[in-house]
Formats: sequence, structure tokens, C-alpha cells
Amino acid sequence: MLKKLITSVAFSLSALTLALPAYAEYPERSIQAVIPWGAGGATDNVMRSLSPYVEKELGTKLILNNRPGGTAVIGSSYVMQQRPNGYTLLLGAENPQLYPVLGLAKFDYSDFYPVNIIGQNVVVIAANGDSPFNSMADLLAAAKEKPDTLRMGATGAGGLPSTVHAMVNAVGELKVREVTFGGDGPGITALMGKHIDFMPLSLAAAQELVRSGKLKALAVLATEEVPELPGVEPITKALPDIAEYLPWGPFWGAFVHKDTPDDIKKKLVDAYAKAVANEEFQGFLKNYGAQSMNLHGAEAEEFLKRWQSVTAWSMYKAKAIEISPDTVGIPQP
Amino acid sequence: MTDTLSYLLMAWMDPNLLMLTALGTFAGIYIGAIPGLSVTMAVSILVSFTFSWDVNEALALIVGIFIGGVYGGSRSAILINIPGSPSSVATSFDGYPLAKRGEAGQAIGLSTVMSVIGGLCGTLVLACAAPVLGDLALQFAPRDYFLIAAIGLMLVGSLAAGSLAKGIVAVCLGAIVGMVGMDPVTAQGRFTMGQMELMGGIHYVVVMIGLFGVAEALYQLHNLDTAVVKQNVSKVIPPLAMVLRFLPLSLRTSAIGVLVGALPGVGGDIAALMAYDHAKRSVKNPSRPFGEGAYEGLVAPETANSAAVGSAYVPMLTLGMPGDAVTAVIIGALVVHGLNPGPMLMVENPHIFWFTVGNLALANIFLLIFGLMGIKLFAKVVELPKAVLIPLILVLCTVGSYSLNSSMTEVYWMFGFGVLGYFLKAFGFQMGPIILGVILGPLMDTSYRQAMASVGDNPQELLMELISSPVSLVLSAALLLIVLGNTPLYGWLKRKTARASSSPS
Repeated sequence: MLKKLITSVAFSLSALTLALPAYAEYPERSIQAVIPWGAGGATDNVMRSLSPYVEKELGTKLILNNRPGGTAVIGSSYVMQQRPNGYTLLLGAENPQLYPVLGLAKFDYSDFYPVNIIGQNVVVIAANGDSPFNSMADLLAAAKEKPDTLRMGATGAGGLPSTVHAMVNAVGELKVREVTFGGDGPGITALMGKHIDFMPLSLAAAQELVRSGKLKALAVLATEEVPELPGVEPITKALPDIAEYLPWGPFWGAFVHKDTPDDIKKKLVDAYAKAVANEEFQGFLKNYGAQSMNLHGAEAEEFLKRWQSVTAWSMYKAKAIEISPDTVGIPQP
Repeated sequence: MTDTLSYLLMAWMDPNLLMLTALGTFAGIYIGAIPGLSVTMAVSILVSFTFSWDVNEALALIVGIFIGGVYGGSRSAILINIPGSPSSVATSFDGYPLAKRGEAGQAIGLSTVMSVIGGLCGTLVLACAAPVLGDLALQFAPRDYFLIAAIGLMLVGSLAAGSLAKGIVAVCLGAIVGMVGMDPVTAQGRFTMGQMELMGGIHYVVVMIGLFGVAEALYQLHNLDTAVVKQNVSKVIPPLAMVLRFLPLSLRTSAIGVLVGALPGVGGDIAALMAYDHAKRSVKNPSRPFGEGAYEGLVAPETANSAAVGSAYVPMLTLGMPGDAVTAVIIGALVVHGLNPGPMLMVENPHIFWFTVGNLALANIFLLIFGLMGIKLFAKVVELPKAVLIPLILVLCTVGSYSLNSSMTEVYWMFGFGVLGYFLKAFGFQMGPIILGVILGPLMDTSYRQAMASVGDNPQELLMELISSPVSLVLSAALLLIVLGNTPLYGWLKRKTARASSSPS
């Protein structure tokens, strides 16, 4: 009788210990972070630099996985399908906000919870260092002379290069051949090998190469010169009408499934806010030519909505897309 | 000059760095040997792990794992016919038959020495010709990648022992498997049957483990009663005469490995396949027929995949562009440590370049030491009773597949391909061509479309480009020669020239 009592108590105690881990502190194991772009590109570099600081704040390892493809649809939908327990993060760029108007997928960032909008970057129109073009006007003239001959590097429908291309076409004419690569990394390699003639890139991706002269910055997508690129003309010089779409730039953010428990969301938000604010990371962002934003909560959601409506409506006006933004619930800016 | 020398020898002199390189190489060998555990994954984890370390220490450990891992895959390829990593697929073609003959020990010893030779060649080229090689690599346009993939696919002729038709069907099957997922240009789903889950495609390592590992294990169930082959482990270190005999071949295949490894985006796996193909075509009197345990069939892929390690660093260090998946992660490591990989890296931080060269050479030496240690023990694995070996293989495969994405989906895929592979084997289809299709099919697809987009979908312009660019010209000529070489026309020409030279008067 006593033996039975002792065994049953022992069993129940051990069952209790099995149940206890369910209430253990988050994070109790390593977190998977999905980067929906290829290795070596701007998103990848920013996220890999940030992750060690986040790991320190969270007290666990972040395992970074690249899942490129389909303008980040593959990586983003993968994260959406995982369990909302805070162990899968999406470390992405601005592309999902355009999915509804491009018909690429049925979701966008409003189906995720924004942990942190890390920073944004300025776009440059880059060409090979030996290119005959020296300014945006040269490029536009050459494209006009021989339409559909120049080769532009692109990263797929909805990627930064095609969005910028659409904006330019809204106020001017740039008929070129679009050659698709898996990310800005392979695109830059092709640009350096002169297999394409130019490519709109985020400054982060192109900075080192522009600095060393391997690439030339024809123009910067802004209304005035940016301090990181002295001597490079703003695109408004050649295309003054484009000013109505500016300021505009790609951004990077960390996201998690919408249904993640609130306390886990809070832990992630705190960790990322501190990590992004870290002096060393701020120094890295500056060095990389990026602007820190460190937004979360309501501010982040506001930013995402505004970016989406400005970009979607400008692309619609440029006739780059056929789906009208208000049919998918995007209000006018 | 003395600065360069001191950077070169930094890893050799500092006991910390020496130990880390040794540790990395040792761990790398075993990580590489387990199918599914990949070097990329290990290095990825290490980057964040070593974040707070000194940058040299982090790099030393990573270099060791890289070199050890690429070599380690050959262990399981030889012993149990399961490539431990994609770069060892070609090693299994002749490595496993050698094990079946009882020469597993010699095979491992030879592959170790050859890997070191290849690795040192790669390091040497990195040291002497990095900028030149970097610029050459940039010359490769999308159409050239397409040609390389096409040349690689010609290997099917050599791999399809028996029926060429079945080999071609197998390649097509592999290419179809490789195409599952999202179209890289239009983002439309291909072969996904409306399932969102399939949009990510099927990981090629899972296909490899399933077809080579599980299928082989299932097939062995037919042969449970055959006696295990006793391994002859009296002489595992290859004699110098043997090494010298294969030196011309190993230097040629190292050259292939160096060139293919330097191309951004292609790495040791494609290098090894192309080297194997080259060996098959250029060695007229192999020690044994290829596919039945020819030593040349082991020498070629092992030198190539190790040479590709050194040259993968070329685009990374000279341009800041990743040469393959592992160097992409290493770029991240450099960024994390506050360095900016790019053309300015060699100018502003020359010590990183020379340190890496010295480190690679050191890691290769450790590879020789650790690789040759314990071979006798490893060779005995083949002698394990099947009742132990087969379940062990299945467990390792499951662990490996699960580790790819920490998800059971990959494990189910692996078993699915294992069963498919078993039936294919039973009907006389070879697994090699399938993997060829899976790896090279998507490369051909993407580069063909990039090439066509570059010429505005105008085939005439593409043909003009093929002729006008020197790289494309060489590759097109090679492809044409290989294709013709397989036709009766070539045999007829050979016979005519043979008759002409043999008639004395």
C-alpha cells in the first residue's frame, strides 16, 4: 500500500515537472530568424549585424536563415505558417507592403506584428565604374535613343529596383530590359562584370563599391544631395517632377506572427529597441549609410501604413500596377 | 613585406589561434561527415557565438570548420554511400565501390591526401592571384553560368551505367524536383498544386539524403544475408608513388575547382561534379573502370571541392561578394566585427587577407593530420552487421534532415524520396543523374532566363554574344565538343585517324 502511494506521488511530481516548462521564461531555446533575401545583400548584412546585440538582450541565440525567393514571399509566408509562439521571427525589408497591389500574395505587414522598424536607406542609381553615363540625364537620353536596349538589374516584381523604375516611368521615360536576380548581391556582381548597365540599389548595398570606384552613383533618389554621397546629384535635377513621390526609401524591420502572446511580444519589442539603440549598432548603421528609426508599437504601424499608401498610390498613378489600391483597402496618403 | 609575413604566420605562431584552427578542422570533419549537418549551418551558428571574440579568433575557427566540413562529407560518401554534404556527391560514385571491395581505408587515406593537395592549391591561388581571379570571375555572364550548368549535365552520359535513356529520364526527374516552388522571375508557383507550403521548394539536401541514404538503406534489405566485406586496413596512407602518379590529374582538377569556386554563386558541389566529368573524359586507362572503384574517380572530386574552398574567398575578399553560401555567412561575420567587406578591405585591412591565407594553409595541414588519424577505426564501420548499420543510417539521415529547418516536413520529404529512390533503383535508374538534375536544373533555368532578358528575348543577339565573349566562346566550344564526343560521328573520326596513323607506308 505504501509502495503504491509512493510510486503514484513520484509519478505525479514528475508529471508536474513536465508541465512546468510550459510556464518557463521566454525565450527558453534558440529563436529562428528568417531573412527572406539572399546572403550578402543589404537586408542580410543589417540583420546579421544587429542579431548579436539582440541575442545579448534576449539571452538566447538567434539562428539566421536565408529563405530568398519571390520578392520575399517565400520567407514571409514561411514565417506566417509557423506557430505563433515567438520562436520564429521575420527580418525583412519593405516588400510585403506591396503584395496586395502586385497580386503576389494575399497578405502584407498588417498580418504581422511589427517588433521594430529598424531603419531606412536612401536609393542610388548605380552603374559600373567605367560606364559611359555620368548622370541621370545621360542614362535617360541613352534609353530614349535606344529603347529596350539598356539592361537594368532587378530583384523581381515588387523589389526596390522595379518600384524605383515605376516611379521614374511615372514622370519620365525609361524603357529598358529588366534582368532579374535573386537579390542585390548577385545583381551587383553582374553590374561589376558589366553584364547589366545600371541598377537602382540601396546605399547600404552599394556604398563600399561606390567609395572604391568600382561602381558609379549616377543619382540619388532624394530632393537634395545626401551627405554620405558628396557630389552625386539628386534625381530631381534630371526629373524634377519625381519630387512629389519623395522622400522615399526602403526600410528594414523585425516582425513576428500577429497571434503571438502579448508578453512575448513585449519582450521582443524591448530587446530590439535596446539592441537598435546600442551605440555600436548605431555606428554601424551610419557607416552603412542608413538612417536609424527604431520605431515600435503604434508609431511603427503608422509608418508602415503611410509607406504603403504613398508607394501604392504613386505606382498606380505611374500606371505601374493595374490593381487600384483602394480596392485592397489602402487609403490615399 | 615583413608585415605581410607576420600576418601570414599569425595563425601559426599564436597558440590560441593554432588551437582554434585545429579545433575547427577537427569539428568540421565530423560535422561534414554526418549527412544533413551542413557547414553553412555550423558557421552560421558560430558567427553569433563568436561575436564577442577577437575577429582573428572567430575567423580561425570558421576557416577550420569550412575546410574540415567540405572534406568530412567524403567519409560517409565512401563508407555508407551517403554524401555527408552536397560537395561529396561525386565522391560516392567511386568511393563506395572501393569500400565494397574492401579498400575503404585506402579510399579515405587517398581522399584525405587529395583534399589537402586541392586545398593547398586553392590557397596558393588565393595568395598569388586573387585580384586577377576575381576579375576573371566577374567576366562570367548569366549565359556562361548556363553553359557551365549544361556542361555539368552532360555528366549524365557517364553516370548512367547501363541505359542512357534511363539516365536522361532521371536527370529530367531531378530537374522537375528542383523546379518545384516559386518561379524566380514571375513569382508564380510551379508544381506547387496550389499549396502555399510548396512555394519554398524542396531542399536539395533532403532529396540527396533521401535518394542516397534512405533508398540505399532500404535497398540493402535485399542483401541482408551477404557477408560483410572485410576491410583491408594494412596500408591506409597512400604511397608517394601513387600520389605522384595522380599528380597531373589532381592539378588539373584543382584548377577546375579553383575556377568554379571563384564564381559567385557556385561552389564545391558543382566543382566536384565537373571535375569528375573531366576525369572520366581525360583519363584513358583508369586503374579500374570508373564507377567500380577507380582511384581517379576519387582524386578528381576531392581535389576540386577542397580547391573551391580557397577560391570561394576570392570574390569575398576582393569584392565583398560571396563566392558560395559559407562565404556569405563569413561576410556577415566580418560586418559584425566592424569590418566592411568590399574592395577597400584589402587596402584598409590587408591583414585580414594575409591572415586568411596563412590560416587556410594551416587548416589544410591539420586536415592531413586529423584526416589520417583513426582511419582504421572508421573503415571498420563498413564491417558493422547490417542489422546495426541500416538503422544507424536511418537515424543519422533523420537527424540530418530535421536539422535543416528544425521541422519534421523535411524528414517526411526525405522518407518520401527514400521510398521513391528505392523503387527507381529496383528498376535500374541511377541516383546520381537525379541529383545532377536537382542541383543543375535550377541554375540552368535561372541563368537562361537572365541571359534571355539581357538580350531582350532575341536569340540572335544571344548567339552573337556567345561568339564574341572569350569566356562564352571557350565554354560553348567545350559544350559542343562534349556533345559531339558522345555521338557516332566522333567514333567514326577516331577510327579514321587511327587507320590513317596505323597504316605504315
